[in-house]
Amino acid sequence: MLIKILGRRLAQAVFVAWAVGTLTFFLMNLLPGDFAYRIAAGRYGYDYVNQAAADAVRAELGLDRSVWLQYLDWFRDLLRFNLGDSLVSGNPVSQELAHQLGHSLQLALFASLLSLLIAVPLGLYAGRQVGSALDRASLFISVLLRAQPVFVIGLVLVLIFALQFQLLPVAGFGGSRYLILPALSLALSMAALSSRMIRNATHQVLGSSYYQFARFKGLSEQQAFTHHAQPNIALPVVAFIGIQAVSLIEGIVMIESLFSWPGIGHALAHAIFGRDVPMIQGAALVMGLLFVLINLLVDLCCYWLDPRQREEGLQ
Amino acid sequence: MQIKNILAVVGFALLAWLLLDYQAVDQQQTLTIGGPFEFTSQDLSKDGFMYTRMQVAEALVDVRPDGSLIPKLASDWLVSDNGLEWRFSLRSGVSFHDGRPLNADAVVYSLQKAMAKPGVVQQLPLERLYADAEQVVVELSRPYKPLLSILAHYSLAILSPSSYDEQGQVVALSGTGPYQVALLAPPHKLNVRRFPEYWGEAASIEQVHYLTGHRAESRALQAQSGQADLIYTLDPASLDLLERADNVWVHSQSIPRTVLLKLNNAHPYLNNKQTRQALSLALDREGLSEHVVRVPDSAAYQLFPPALGHWHLSELAEKQRNLALAGELLKQQGWQLGSDGVLEREGERFRLNLVTYADRPELTVLATAIQAQLAEIGVEVEVVVDNSSAIPARHHDGTLELALIARNYGTLSDPLALLVDDHLQGGGDWGPMNWSSPSLSELLESLMSSDGEQDRQLTRQAALLLADELPLIPVLFYTQQVAVNQRVQNFQFDPFELNYRVAEMSFAN
Amino acid sequence: MMGLNTSQRWGFALLFGLIALAGAEALFWQGDIALQQLDAAFEGPSLAEPFGRDHFGRSNFARLASALRTSLLMAICSVALSSVLGVALGMAAGWKRGAVDRTLSFVVNVLLALPGLILVLLFGALIPGSFAMLYLAISLVLWVDYFRLIRARTISLIRSPEVEASRLYGFGVWYIFKRHLWPNFRKDVYTLSCFGAGNAVLALASIGFVYVGLKPPHAELGLMMVELFPYYSDAPWVLLQPLCAVICLVLSFHMIAGTVDE
Repeated sequence: MLIKILGRRLAQAVFVAWAVGTLTFFLMNLLPGDFAYRIAAGRYGYDYVNQAAADAVRAELGLDRSVWLQYLDWFRDLLRFNLGDSLVSGNPVSQELAHQLGHSLQLALFASLLSLLIAVPLGLYAGRQVGSALDRASLFISVLLRAQPVFVIGLVLVLIFALQFQLLPVAGFGGSRYLILPALSLALSMAALSSRMIRNATHQVLGSSYYQFARFKGLSEQQAFTHHAQPNIALPVVAFIGIQAVSLIEGIVMIESLFSWPGIGHALAHAIFGRDVPMIQGAALVMGLLFVLINLLVDLCCYWLDPRQREEGLQ
Repeated sequence: MQIKNILAVVGFALLAWLLLDYQAVDQQQTLTIGGPFEFTSQDLSKDGFMYTRMQVAEALVDVRPDGSLIPKLASDWLVSDNGLEWRFSLRSGVSFHDGRPLNADAVVYSLQKAMAKPGVVQQLPLERLYADAEQVVVELSRPYKPLLSILAHYSLAILSPSSYDEQGQVVALSGTGPYQVALLAPPHKLNVRRFPEYWGEAASIEQVHYLTGHRAESRALQAQSGQADLIYTLDPASLDLLERADNVWVHSQSIPRTVLLKLNNAHPYLNNKQTRQALSLALDREGLSEHVVRVPDSAAYQLFPPALGHWHLSELAEKQRNLALAGELLKQQGWQLGSDGVLEREGERFRLNLVTYADRPELTVLATAIQAQLAEIGVEVEVVVDNSSAIPARHHDGTLELALIARNYGTLSDPLALLVDDHLQGGGDWGPMNWSSPSLSELLESLMSSDGEQDRQLTRQAALLLADELPLIPVLFYTQQVAVNQRVQNFQFDPFELNYRVAEMSFAN
Repeated sequence: MMGLNTSQRWGFALLFGLIALAGAEALFWQGDIALQQLDAAFEGPSLAEPFGRDHFGRSNFARLASALRTSLLMAICSVALSSVLGVALGMAAGWKRGAVDRTLSFVVNVLLALPGLILVLLFGALIPGSFAMLYLAISLVLWVDYFRLIRARTISLIRSPEVEASRLYGFGVWYIFKRHLWPNFRKDVYTLSCFGAGNAVLALASIGFVYVGLKPPHAELGLMMVELFPYYSDAPWVLLQPLCAVICLVLSFHMIAGTVDE
């Protein structure tokens, strides 16, 4: 069973890498405008982009070659695990991704964990006491947080913690002090959704017949909750957090921009404006693989949490 | 396992992360600069501005804030009588950050690398460049007066030969400036520290950090909270806020950049001076200056801003907006107001595309306002927000009708080089389109080999001609707004934005 | 209104209130969203301008109303497109299985792995300045949710005795869909749609943050927030208007979806 999970995900990874890279390549080639001019603008800035610069770029990068030839080049490089060089900065794509995607991942991971710390206790409590004042209050706050763009949350946090109390820096990166505010903004908006999710799962499980039976057969509330409720609450929650984490990596453009965080969102926007094809392909490919990886982790977690799957494996 | 335990583990992990990743910064010895400028590499032709601003790299010649040129790495220079051979002597006792000494061979090597790249250096009528007994010799094919201002450009800063790899790319930037690179994290961060063996006066501040901030609001907040000492390019919306703060003051200074309307002068609607005048008269520049960019007195009635010395004509009277006259001029061209408020002539509507670019956020805002102002005289404008490369691309394929651009007239300290490129060398991707004037060409030719009072006279005539003919319609002058923390002493500002001059600043105790 | 609980009634009331606001402006005020009066920037509310003026001295009421119309229409279109696409393809995959299922799941897997942001930015770049294109891209991201849900539901429903019986009696696809499948999907599709509409508006605001999709002088709620964000300290009441409109809009969708009264 375990081998089957790993094998399936590995095959998916290979396939996703090829499909996503190919799709972005051809979508990029559909974009209007002269690539040489775009790349020249990305390289030399708006004061210096002109025909001479565009011609130099065209000659240097061989943009006159046919699309298929360029695609084959990319594919050959991919087989050698080479993502190519950025057309704008000239640095290897892998190096740029390591810097920018790395920072995004760091932020996403920290924010996800922080959101767990907020959402799990809140969701469990609200789910056990449905209809209580706290349940209602958490619902109200959750809807309010979900109904506004995350930059408003970020701005409010900055005004409180950076300007009023001068505890944390406004923006920047390098060191954990810079991580707290952007991560907290994201965590709050994530927890707004996941805390309700946990609350509903808890409510459902506590009302289920197997939990009632466990209580009926004489287990204390503590025992019944640990052995019968927790795994059943955890299953959907793990799957949900996994999906949330994936969407987070790309969904943090606003936070990156507000907090001057060197993330992948801004880099992607720039790469598309600058027609930096290898950079877009590389980013799509790595993010696609990341998607597969997170799915694998979710699979493994469920495998570990769900005794039925493990028994199936033993037979 | 209990959920409580898992949560506790997660909590401890996050706490440990925060503690382990804590990086202390010595605020007392570190000056932090914030600005919107991104840099992607160490290649001077692309991102050299960042390294000259942070005073890592220096050029042979330096531009003073008033635009005059003084020796930097070159100690002096001699021009042959025919203006074709320039000999530069080098300052002695200068060493690069990697320890090598500065000599003529290193300078020639560095300049040759720069000349292989696109950029302003390509405007130079260069014949030969070589080292001759500790002098650097530049031979030209024809006299070219703005040579010094080209050599002062950031793309021609001098780097140590060890900075380049075999392909001629800069991989380990090593210059001669008072600061050397400490941490390089493009596109957002550059930290530099004091270079102890600097040839000139050593810097007072030990460390300088630069951080790119994309959003003007968060940059303003950085200044307000004291996190950053200098914040460049404040947006108008944050000015009031910062002026109320007591730890910061705002420095405003004109820079040689002008917002202007570039027009296709061959377009059937725009191919005469009267129509261009009418468009110019329809603009409410004072309104734009007061309420949109919120910098009083930035209305522009000529192309050259006050920062450009004698190219700026102070006597050019401020013309007010005049819709009646604009309407009259358009009527003379045969345009009649249609029933829907749009001008018509022989069944054609006065409808134009206006291209602008989002790279500078204020341009889309100004385009919105100009669209509304031109609608008042019956000119219908459709705003197209594109990328900056659309301007030269559409200039060359002829699809440009109107464009709102922010042109930097101070890429070189002498605008002459730029005008010569616009009008004599077939450049002008950012200059007038489909427009030529024999008298202007003549003036520019004579300016290439004039000096003193004659130079001043010719400059005046050229500037007047451009302001009168309106091949480009000036809209606003730029003002750079810098938030400066009170603890920064002796703040300096370079309108050409080649140098932040932090080495001359210090902290109050 | 039959079969609605209190929360849903309030949700509809809120939504109709917003629509009425947008309609009243079009009927009685008929303001111009592009007309500027630079010297009246940030003028406070008056009878003629009940919501004051923005940074260009444009009528906030006219802009807000127009933005509500645009955003609502766009959000509804993108939700309709994604739900129809998701339900139809999800059913096809769940019903036919085999090659159809494999092909569609293949496409969905690629779409899921392709970062939504890249897709939206690419589509935005195809026709710069087009709102419709951006919403189309957002629908392309959204339909996957419907597909996965409907496919899973169809697979289990199609084996149920009722559907088996209907098929044996020779009833057509449409009948089975109407009689057996749709009643089962309905609640989930509504819920997904209500969240989707709110998310579509918020997604556009986040795209506006990287300067894509701005096309003056049109008004759209997400972009208005980004446009007015710099003035948060000068004129917070102006920024609050599109913000409140979005909050009300999203809140009304959530209430209609029934999540508030769980």
